[in-house]
Amino acid sequence: MARYLLTRLGQALVIVILVTLITFVILHFLPGGAARAILGKEATLEQIAAFNHDMGYDRPLWEQYALYLQRLVRGDLGYSFQLNQSVAEAITQRLPKTMVLSLASTALAVVVAIPLGVVQAVRRNRWPDYTINALSLLAYATPIFFLGLMMIILFSQVWPLLPPEAPQGFTLGEVLADPAGLVLPTVTLAVLTVAVYSRYVRSSMVDNLNENYVRTARSKGLSEGRVIVGHTLRNGLFPVITLLGMYLPALFSGALVVERLFNYPGMGLLFWQSALKRDYPILLGVTLLISVATVLGALVADVLYAAVDPRVRLKGSRS
Amino acid sequence: MSLLRLVDLSTDIALRRGAVHALDHVNLEVRQGETLGVVGESGSGKTMTVLSVMGLLPAGGRVVNGQILFDGRDLLAMAPEELRRVRGVEMGMVFQDPLTSLNPTMRIGAQVSEPLRVHQGVSKAEARDRAVEILRRVGMPRPDKVVDDYPHQLSGGMRQRAVIAMALIRSPRLLIADEPTTALDVTTQRQILELIDDLRDEFKMAVILVTHDLGVIASRADRVAVMYAGRVVETATTEELFRAPRHRYTEALMHALPEAAQGREGKLYSIPGLPPDLSQPLTGCRFAPRCRNATDACRATDVPLVRAAEDHLYACLHPVTEAVAFAPRGAGEARPSRASDTILSVRELVKEYDAGGKSRVSAVSGVSFEVRTGETLGIVGESGCGKSTVGRLVAGLEEPTGGQIVLDGTDIGALDRRARRRMHREVQLMFQDSYAAMNPRMRIDGILTEPLEIQQVGDPAARRSRVTRLLDQVGLPTRALERYPHEFSGGQLQRIGLARSLALEPRLIVADEPVSALDVSIQAQVLNLMRDLQAELGLSYVFISHDLSVVDYMADRIAVMYLGKLVEIGPASQVVRAARHPYTQALIDAVPSPDPGHAPSPATAIRGELPSAIDPPTGCRFRTRCPLAQDICTTEPPLAGGPHQVACHFPLRPEATATATATAAP
Repeated sequence: MARYLLTRLGQALVIVILVTLITFVILHFLPGGAARAILGKEATLEQIAAFNHDMGYDRPLWEQYALYLQRLVRGDLGYSFQLNQSVAEAITQRLPKTMVLSLASTALAVVVAIPLGVVQAVRRNRWPDYTINALSLLAYATPIFFLGLMMIILFSQVWPLLPPEAPQGFTLGEVLADPAGLVLPTVTLAVLTVAVYSRYVRSSMVDNLNENYVRTARSKGLSEGRVIVGHTLRNGLFPVITLLGMYLPALFSGALVVERLFNYPGMGLLFWQSALKRDYPILLGVTLLISVATVLGALVADVLYAAVDPRVRLKGSRS
Repeated sequence: MSLLRLVDLSTDIALRRGAVHALDHVNLEVRQGETLGVVGESGSGKTMTVLSVMGLLPAGGRVVNGQILFDGRDLLAMAPEELRRVRGVEMGMVFQDPLTSLNPTMRIGAQVSEPLRVHQGVSKAEARDRAVEILRRVGMPRPDKVVDDYPHQLSGGMRQRAVIAMALIRSPRLLIADEPTTALDVTTQRQILELIDDLRDEFKMAVILVTHDLGVIASRADRVAVMYAGRVVETATTEELFRAPRHRYTEALMHALPEAAQGREGKLYSIPGLPPDLSQPLTGCRFAPRCRNATDACRATDVPLVRAAEDHLYACLHPVTEAVAFAPRGAGEARPSRASDTILSVRELVKEYDAGGKSRVSAVSGVSFEVRTGETLGIVGESGCGKSTVGRLVAGLEEPTGGQIVLDGTDIGALDRRARRRMHREVQLMFQDSYAAMNPRMRIDGILTEPLEIQQVGDPAARRSRVTRLLDQVGLPTRALERYPHEFSGGQLQRIGLARSLALEPRLIVADEPVSALDVSIQAQVLNLMRDLQAELGLSYVFISHDLSVVDYMADRIAVMYLGKLVEIGPASQVVRAARHPYTQALIDAVPSPDPGHAPSPATAIRGELPSAIDPPTGCRFRTRCPLAQDICTTEPPLAGGPHQVACHFPLRPEATATATATAAP
């Protein structure tokens, strides 16, 4: 197990370094450049050249990259002149808020999607299945900004039950002090996730209900409820683990559209604003964080799989 | 007093349009303490009958008529709650495929004891103890450890024991076993069938044994019901059925068995055609279209069951008058060797696989044999013995780790890639599951011309005519060319598979379990075809099978493999009738004979499980299960002898009856 983890972490490190390289190169070939973005339109060519020289931007790309890696190893993600704070600081301010939103919506989605998928599988090809199927396709096909707008119009304009804007607090404590403001963004995010998850649960449960072991369970005279909950559900939920693993990066990156729509100061909004302002250090930092989360997500899913499925054993080799 | 009685039971399976009438007025009964065998081909309704009883019909399945009387009460009229209790307490069922019948993520103990927990409210600790106890009773090795294992940690035979334990833990009054040993090796099959017999006597159960295998029925059942196309066509005591079968279908089933073939040159009787489509309305005897004795009366009127004797019913207008003779073991004559030059010579073949870390799986270890032109070499052995690996090595699908494969005088290992590809024309493979081995999106003409295109044989017109001729050779109409694989039945697919392997005019065909997935009647068609083509084209076969009677019928010589080693090889009649290796003898004795008078000798039964091929036993690999093993068996016995060679320190017999061998030698 330990050896497996070490191997996987080693692979992860290589992937993350490759991601930084690619992002670094792409960002530096974009037109405009950081100097223009920071010094403004009025800056003279001399000023720009001086800025680039000070920042080391006039050195060869590989040297810049080496420098960036060196700083990275020391835990220095860079400094954003536009926000006038270090990248690490900007991220630590926003990350917890994004995580609250993502975790809440994922938890909601899982809690709703699993029963829906199970009902669909048990009543497959009958009206409950068709109804849920139609609704989840509708939810899946709706653009999320439209869904969010509808939520705002319905639940804060037509029926003024909830605030249209997410909590604006600076710290996590302040955000949590205003839970009503989190409801609409959480639900909006969850709707789409429910649509995706319930389909996975349905098809996986259908597959499992057709397995021979279910027939064996029925032959013991078990009630349908016990057959489904006691025997099929555990095997049917394996795909959800993979989905959750794939969801981990979203936990860090935040939901760009929803955060923008509800003006929630999380990672999504940070990324959005930095992209508009060509704030390269922030963009690089956020990308790095997401790539780390992606690689870790896959690893976490594999480890979770091994924990719940006795057939999966984690070794460096095929088994 | 009958424990279970089916009265006019009819079951439908709904289709998108219409329904399959899977069972049509089935009447059966099982008495306390007896074993009822239900036999028939796939689609005969034998499985549907027991699934109806258990209330486990597949989606769309519904009993539409009749009664299922269990101990006098009609199960169909029972409230669901009560029915579940009857099913979970008074009945137990053992399924065909032990590999998929257990929940992969639940511990064996929890699964086995679940009926107790649910129906009797037994505590967790007690349930575990009871599970250990019943696992021990069904002969599970180390039950106190296995109880906490997951299914994937057990072998097929052990899993089937777990399923049986699960059925027995509730002390049922009726045990239903649906093809309980079909997925298992013969030696394991014998252990499981004996176990069911013992437990029936001990628990005073009634047993319904569903199987396609007449041999299993003959040795285990008290009474037999023969089913065809959703109906019971004949019931009798086992002895009576085999002594004096009445229905023409029963007779045809028996005739189609390789054991019924009269001598090597005798053809197997094969039932022509296919069973009827049960979604269509049918009149008359359902077997009439395939029956050689059918008259107009058979086709016009429904044929009722009539009584032949006290306990013998049949539904046939032209009943059989004499019994089917099975060639008794030991009666086979030595076949004249038609062999001339050697087409294939395998020398000290070794194949090992990495098994993670430093361990290696020794799949094939030092195997040597020869195949002569026009000869069939049968390779038998249990699953995991390496017989299929030998086949794949010979066909060039895998690279050997060591040793030589000499094909037609050329050492394949010494050839470069291009030359080796040309050599592939000489050896072709035929698979067990032809459907899985064909691209489902390719039409038959594409499937058959592909090898010709790859080897650049002829122009398109020549290929086209070659393919038409191939189909003709395997007895399929030309219009089959435009169809897709899913449109064919199992037997037809096997013919197409044979046609494909013949496309390049090979000299040797490696057939890996070519008839194992087929019903007896269809199996006979394919075996006959293979032999006809052999005579016509001068082919050589390497015929790999776990089924000794089929190999005995097909092969000139037989090689027996155990755990990667060749333990015995010799002329077929001698290997089967005068086996020299204890393992061969055990294999032979484990095959259930369709002759009820033939009792297996208990002395040669082998116990236990096949050892792992990672780190196999030293010396003779069979010694850990051999009743004759001594200290010397830790050293490896060489394969010794004349034409009938054996690798054993204590061969069961000398290479006797050498007269037959002498005449066979060229």
